[in-house]
Order: sequence, then structure tokens, then C-alpha cells
Amino acid sequence: MRIIVHKARCQGHARCSAQAPDVFRLDDEGYILPGDIEVGEGEQLLASRGARSCPERALELDRTPAARG
Amino acid sequence: MAVNPVPDHVPPEMVRDFSLFTSPGMAPTPNGDPHAAVACVHSGPPIFYSPCNTRDGRGTWVVTRATDQRRVLQDAETFSSHRSIFSSALGESWPMIPLELDPPAHGVFRSLLNPLLSPKRVVVLEPKVRERAITLIDRIAASGTSCDVMKDFAFPFTVSIFLRLLGLPDHRLDTFVGWAKDLLHGDDVKRPAAAQTIVAFIDELATKRRKEPADDFMTFIVQAQVERRRLTEEEVRGIGVLVFVAGLDTVAAAIGFGLAYLARNLKDQDLLRREPDRIVLAAEELLRAYPTVQIIRVATKDIDFEGAPIRKGDYVSCATMIANRDPAEFECPNTVDLAREDNRHAAFGYGPHRCLGSHLARREIVIGLEEWLARIPAFRIKKATAPITSGGHVFGIENLILDWS
Ligand code: SF4
Repeated sequence: MRIIVHKARCQGHARCSAQAPDVFRLDDEGYILPGDIEVGEGEQLLASRGARSCPERALELDRTPAARG
Repeated sequence: MAVNPVPDHVPPEMVRDFSLFTSPGMAPTPNGDPHAAVACVHSGPPIFYSPCNTRDGRGTWVVTRATDQRRVLQDAETFSSHRSIFSSALGESWPMIPLELDPPAHGVFRSLLNPLLSPKRVVVLEPKVRERAITLIDRIAASGTSCDVMKDFAFPFTVSIFLRLLGLPDHRLDTFVGWAKDLLHGDDVKRPAAAQTIVAFIDELATKRRKEPADDFMTFIVQAQVERRRLTEEEVRGIGVLVFVAGLDTVAAAIGFGLAYLARNLKDQDLLRREPDRIVLAAEELLRAYPTVQIIRVATKDIDFEGAPIRKGDYVSCATMIANRDPAEFECPNTVDLAREDNRHAAFGYGPHRCLGSHLARREIVIGLEEWLARIPAFRIKKATAPITSGGHVFGIENLILDWS
């Protein structure tokens, strides 16, 4: 699974990293670091929870086959 | 309250008799539930015009859907937050910073202040916050089986944390709480007087810290640089006043509404006491169900929004308590489900002005609940007492007498 990060939309709620601190890394101000995120096998549940808790809709789950592979 | 006439460009069929100030349940009400009272707007259109929806009786558009509120709040160019809400009470027009600045100036100040209240910083502050909660609750537990949670815990807890952040002594706590109450809930005489007092206080503190630096927020502000220059006096004041106003009331209200819910729902209370790991998630749900702030923006240009002819200068209200009860966004929005997942609530707003203090506020609420539940046995609202709740610009709960005898 991959998470597409729409960095411009992030407003630093930190809801994602509260769910999955190892998946969603924040900068010193509390905003998400740029770049899409490849999620490892064991972290999928927490990662998708984190993405789904972003109030700004800045994190998009990419479940296309390519992203799974 | 003087009501301004509905402007000509507002179609009469878009006007509704609804207001966060004057609708049923908004005035101070014993055992009230102002959040439930506003949820009724969801049976109506996505946007309508409320002829009297600010403290001074101005009309606003009311955006009811969470997704539309996101559109408004994420578009700071079209919907400005520069309203001088505080300084206008003094007949002045300086902005509270960063709240009332628009991009790009907003970003400059936001970046300056973000690290002071970032998630990392909050981890550092946490032990002191917890210690403060424990001290207060232990004192309450030792002195009886009943207390007014607002007066004895919620306010002293949240305000003293904020005072420590600003570098101010605890003994002035009651004074500051008094100012904040007058400012947020006072009448037309008390409000400007409180505003004046707070400005004078912030100015004086800034002068003091310029002369004698300390390890605190105000020292940071007076020494800080933006765009290779020191901040002006007006900017320092704008930041100081915002932190003061924002820090005093809302977190206490959130804790109060949360504990009031738990006092009335013993099963949930018991569950959280037995399984404290659930409190982090539960706190988000309590924030969703009982947020406290109405956010207002000013249109910077004419725009047609979901069929509403918004004109330059119109006020647009994005009430967090309305977004958080949107059935399109939340399943059974009027039911409190402490295990709710995917809880993308709007308690701290959306967009670039998202509450700067949200990480600290969250921690305070979680720690407050954790320590309260760990130390106070099953509690209810004391017989023959009634918490008084109110609507308005900031929803509040005045008293909450709990009993665990
Ligand atoms: S939850 Fe969304 S807005 Fe918040 S830090 Fe994560 S990506 Fe950014």
C-alpha cells in the first residue's frame, strides 16, 4: 500500500502521526514531510487509520495494484 | 441586541431564523445542550443567511456541511480572517496574530510560533501538565466527595499551564480567569474594559521582558525575528493577546463538557476508568460532539457558493459544532460513540489557521480525563444542581457540580 501525500493541504493537525508515528513523520513545526509513503506489510492497518484521520484530506490511500506490488 | 437589516443581495428565501446567540438553547440554560440544539440545521439547506449571528448583532451566512466548511477555511484568499475582532472592541484595528493575518504574512508568523506548540514541544511540556492535574485532583479528592469541576479543576488546570507557558505566576490565576470571563461572556461594558486591561497587561509584560529576558514565551516573542527584523510593538501585542484569549477558556470548556457527558453516562465513564487506553480516542469523540468555537470569515470578493450570492464584505460562519454534527460526515452524529474511528472532526478548525494550540489542548484534555478518572470514583451531577451551558461565539459551561459520595 502507498499513501499519496498532498503536502500543500497539510495544516499540521498531526492526527496521522498520532495514529502511526513510524509511518507519518512530521517536521519541527508539526507538518508532514513531503513525498509519498510506502507502507510496509505490518503497518497497513495503522497507516490507513492515520490517513483516514487527516481532517484536511491531505493523505490519500493508493490501493491500485501497482501500489500494492 | 441591535439587529442589522438583511442586505438587499440576500434572497429572502435564504434567510432563516437561526442564530448561535439567540436561537432556543443558546442563552445560559440549566442542563442545556447547545450542541444538540444547533444540530437541527442539518435538516435544512447547506447554506443560509442568519440575520443576527454575531455578538454585536451582525448577519452571517451559515455554512452547515463539513465539506463546504473545509472549502471556505482552506481558501484564505477568498475568505479572510482579518476581522480585528478583539481590537475593534477598543475602536482599533490591529490584528491578532497569526489568526487574523491572511497569507502570505500569516505563514511567516505561523512558522515562527509553530515550534513553540508543536507535537514535539508538547511531549516536553507533558510531565508538568500531568503534575499540575494530579496536584489539583488530589486536593479535591482529599477535601470531600463533591466539587465544582469548572472552578476547582478545569479552569485552574488549564489556566495555570498557560500561565506557566507565558512565564506568569500562579497567584494571579483568578485575576486572569476573571478578565477572560468578562471578555468572552461579559456585557457591553465589561467586554471593552476587559480588552483594555488585557492589552495594557500584555504591553507591560512585553516591556518587562525586553528589559529582563526570561525563559518564557513573551521573551521569545520580543526577541524573535521575522524577515530579518524584530517584531513591532503592535505585532508583539497581537500575538500576546491571541495567546491570552485562546488559552484561557476553550480547553476548560472542553474538559467541562466532556466530564458532564461522563457524569451522565456511567457506562462510558466506567469503561474509560477500567480501560484508560481508550481515553485518547474518546477525547477526540468528545471534542467532536462538544466543540466550542464558531469561526467567522469575511468574503474578499463576490462569489456564488452552493447557490448563495456571497458578496464582498459578507461574514461567513463556519461553526465547528455544526460541522461536527454533519450526518454526511459522521455516522449517527448526535450519538457519542467513544470508540469512533476515522474521526476527522473540525473542533480545531480546518485550513491554514488550524488551531495553533491544538496539540497542547489535546494533551491537556487527555491528561485531565486520565487523572480525573484514575482518582475520582464513579461521579454524577450532584442532585438538585444543574450545569449551566451557553451558546454564542464560544460555547461554554459555567458550573459543573459533581458528586461521588
Ligand atoms: S493529519 Fe493531515 S494535516 Fe495533519 S499532519 Fe497529518 S497530513 Fe498533515
